[in-house]
Amino acid sequence: MADQYYLIAHEDRTGRSRLHPRATGLGLAAALLAELVLEGRVGINDGELLVLDQRPPRDALNHDILDLLNTQPQHRDMRTWMAYLAQDAGLRVAERLMRVGAVEMVTKRRMLGSTQVLYMPNTARQRNAAAWASTRVANILVRGMELNLPDRTLVGVVVATGLTRHVMYGFENYPHIYHALPGMIASLPSDLREIVECTESLVGSALTVGRR
Amino acid sequence: MSPAGRHQRRRDNVGNWAEHLLTERRRRSAEPDLISRALASNRLGVPSVVFFGVAGAAPLTVVIGGISTVYAVIGQTAAPVVYLVVAAILSIFTVGFVAMSRHIVNSGAFYSYISHGFNRELGVAAAFVALPAYAMMQIGLFGLFGVVAAGVLEAFGLTTSWAVCALVAWALVSVLGILWVDLSGKVLGALLAAEIAVVLVYDFIMVANPAGGQVTFDTLSPAQLLTPEVAAMMVLAIAGFVGFEATVVLSEEAKDPKRTIARATHFSVIAAGLLLGASAWAMSVATGPDRIVAVAAEEKTDLVFTLITPHVPEALVSIGYLLFMTSIFAALLAFHAAVSRYQFALGREGVLPGIWGYTHPRTGAPVVGSIAQSILALAVIVFYSFLDADPLVYLFAWLTTIGGLGVLILMWSASAAVVAFFLRNPGRENIWRGMLAPIVAFFLLSVVLDATVIGLGDILQVPEGSPFRWVFPVAYAVCAVLGILWAMIMRRVWPHNYAMIGRGGGGSRALLDLADFSKPHSHAVAGASQVHPIRPIDQVGKR
Repeated sequence: MADQYYLIAHEDRTGRSRLHPRATGLGLAAALLAELVLEGRVGINDGELLVLDQRPPRDALNHDILDLLNTQPQHRDMRTWMAYLAQDAGLRVAERLMRVGAVEMVTKRRMLGSTQVLYMPNTARQRNAAAWASTRVANILVRGMELNLPDRTLVGVVVATGLTRHVMYGFENYPHIYHALPGMIASLPSDLREIVECTESLVGSALTVGRR
Repeated sequence: MSPAGRHQRRRDNVGNWAEHLLTERRRRSAEPDLISRALASNRLGVPSVVFFGVAGAAPLTVVIGGISTVYAVIGQTAAPVVYLVVAAILSIFTVGFVAMSRHIVNSGAFYSYISHGFNRELGVAAAFVALPAYAMMQIGLFGLFGVVAAGVLEAFGLTTSWAVCALVAWALVSVLGILWVDLSGKVLGALLAAEIAVVLVYDFIMVANPAGGQVTFDTLSPAQLLTPEVAAMMVLAIAGFVGFEATVVLSEEAKDPKRTIARATHFSVIAAGLLLGASAWAMSVATGPDRIVAVAAEEKTDLVFTLITPHVPEALVSIGYLLFMTSIFAALLAFHAAVSRYQFALGREGVLPGIWGYTHPRTGAPVVGSIAQSILALAVIVFYSFLDADPLVYLFAWLTTIGGLGVLILMWSASAAVVAFFLRNPGRENIWRGMLAPIVAFFLLSVVLDATVIGLGDILQVPEGSPFRWVFPVAYAVCAVLGILWAMIMRRVWPHNYAMIGRGGGGSRALLDLADFSKPHSHAVAGASQVHPIRPIDQVGKR
């Protein structure tokens, strides 16, 4: 799910973030926590994380985060974890995407000799897959089909970080989708809904401060 | 069979167990753990926060534009000591203000303090006072910039009106405001350092060349504080400090929310007070205390430059003029950002229409607030240029004074809110921070506010019987009443938004139960660092 969010939140052609970098980081952190919740490893109650199941998840990145949650039991506040994960979520999700072959590492040389490492879809196939990430969600929404739980959560994080307009690009003639979104978020299980709400509030504070 | 026998294996087990115990103990005793350290590495220390506070205040603008106005308008020599006294008052105010910022979420603007300390109605009233106050402070600076830039261009042989220069600055500020260009980095830092250096050099030159050949300390004598004009001077002085209160916005970004913000805010207030007080004194030394008022009234914003020109190379004066211009521009930009951020925060909480809560996706710029402020500024500049009024007096001095009055009202009510908050939530801070300092600050600010409202006509230099003597405080009162009415309407029509006022607008869809502050933000309370082990499911019980 974080993979999907990464592809939605970055431009498929330039690899740049579509959002304020901090908002992207928070969205990815939310998606990573939501993955653990969906796997049944972690529960969230009243803003606090609770490890429900210590068995390692299949995915290496999830495993990594769950281990960290286990070894740092003194931190239970979800906002702390979101802030922590947001710092390098972009890099780590990009590495995961690289492992499955969805993006490649591209080093760009900028003016004055500084280099910038971007993780972006590089071949036509990868670009298609990346563009499909947002189109797929929009399609399901427009046709009014039933979304599964991960997709509903994904939509929640997309809305919370302010990417709605981008996902709906080209579907402006279907205003009923916008009306359906709040209901969809409200229908999430309480853990996931808390993640979405926390993301929204953290993104808001990050933007209020306006620091990178 | 494994090579290790069962004794060996048993010893291994004991070893593992002991090692586990040790690491566990070490982890609990070592205070900042992995997570805290990783988070702290990206956070701000004292210097960055001080910079954030002082950059908004733009010291050179205040020294050259502000102090000479204080001397000229009030006609009193008490300016140096007034700056020091104002720094002291604001420092006392800061004690309680920062202490409260640790206990509330969304510790951004004054109105959130007031809505936490009293109630949401007064919070919205404060927001309605703050919006015009900060907006006017910014727009007033356009007048100063226009005049100074026109003067600089004239030195190059280009004659333009102040309005043209102001409009060029307006266009630049509007574009940069929408693009949300972050000038706060190295550019602003270098400018700030250069400004402070120039101020110090000028002060030194002025003191080194005193009038009549001897340095006098008359203007620093505290006895002058007993004259009636002093309180009126204070509102002008406070306008020179505006910006220091913005540091608490960063409380969730600071390395140690308990200390960093408090130290940085005190430091920026005291440093600014010393710099401004010293400069005001140096000016009076250079002219002689008995002539400073007359010279200031004659030279206006050129006062400092006129005083130093005979004693320094031409280049240093030119550098000063250029830096003065860039300093005003930086202040314009900083205030523009502050105003649009204020509108964004209000839009996010639903006090302003929701569109104000929209930000540009990529840059995070509060676009609507930025545009609204630009349009307002344009209207005022055009209005003044058609009116053909003296921009230095009626645009710069008037609007910044009236804006300063609004900020003073906000500080005064915030100091009352701090007292109310700690009365309602006793035992959160020690008696000095939670009780004594806020009460003293409230008392002192009441005196200043009272004298300002009475003496506003003299500060604005309007004749007896003119409506301008009383219309501005009344206008603020009307704004506040409108705010209260608006909050009541919100309570009836949009109870969700009403509940979120002053609470940062997080998760406005559900989290309604924020009336009691049971959860101050995570790092602020001492209790948060104690160990809560995450228990696996079998101990917690099935969900």
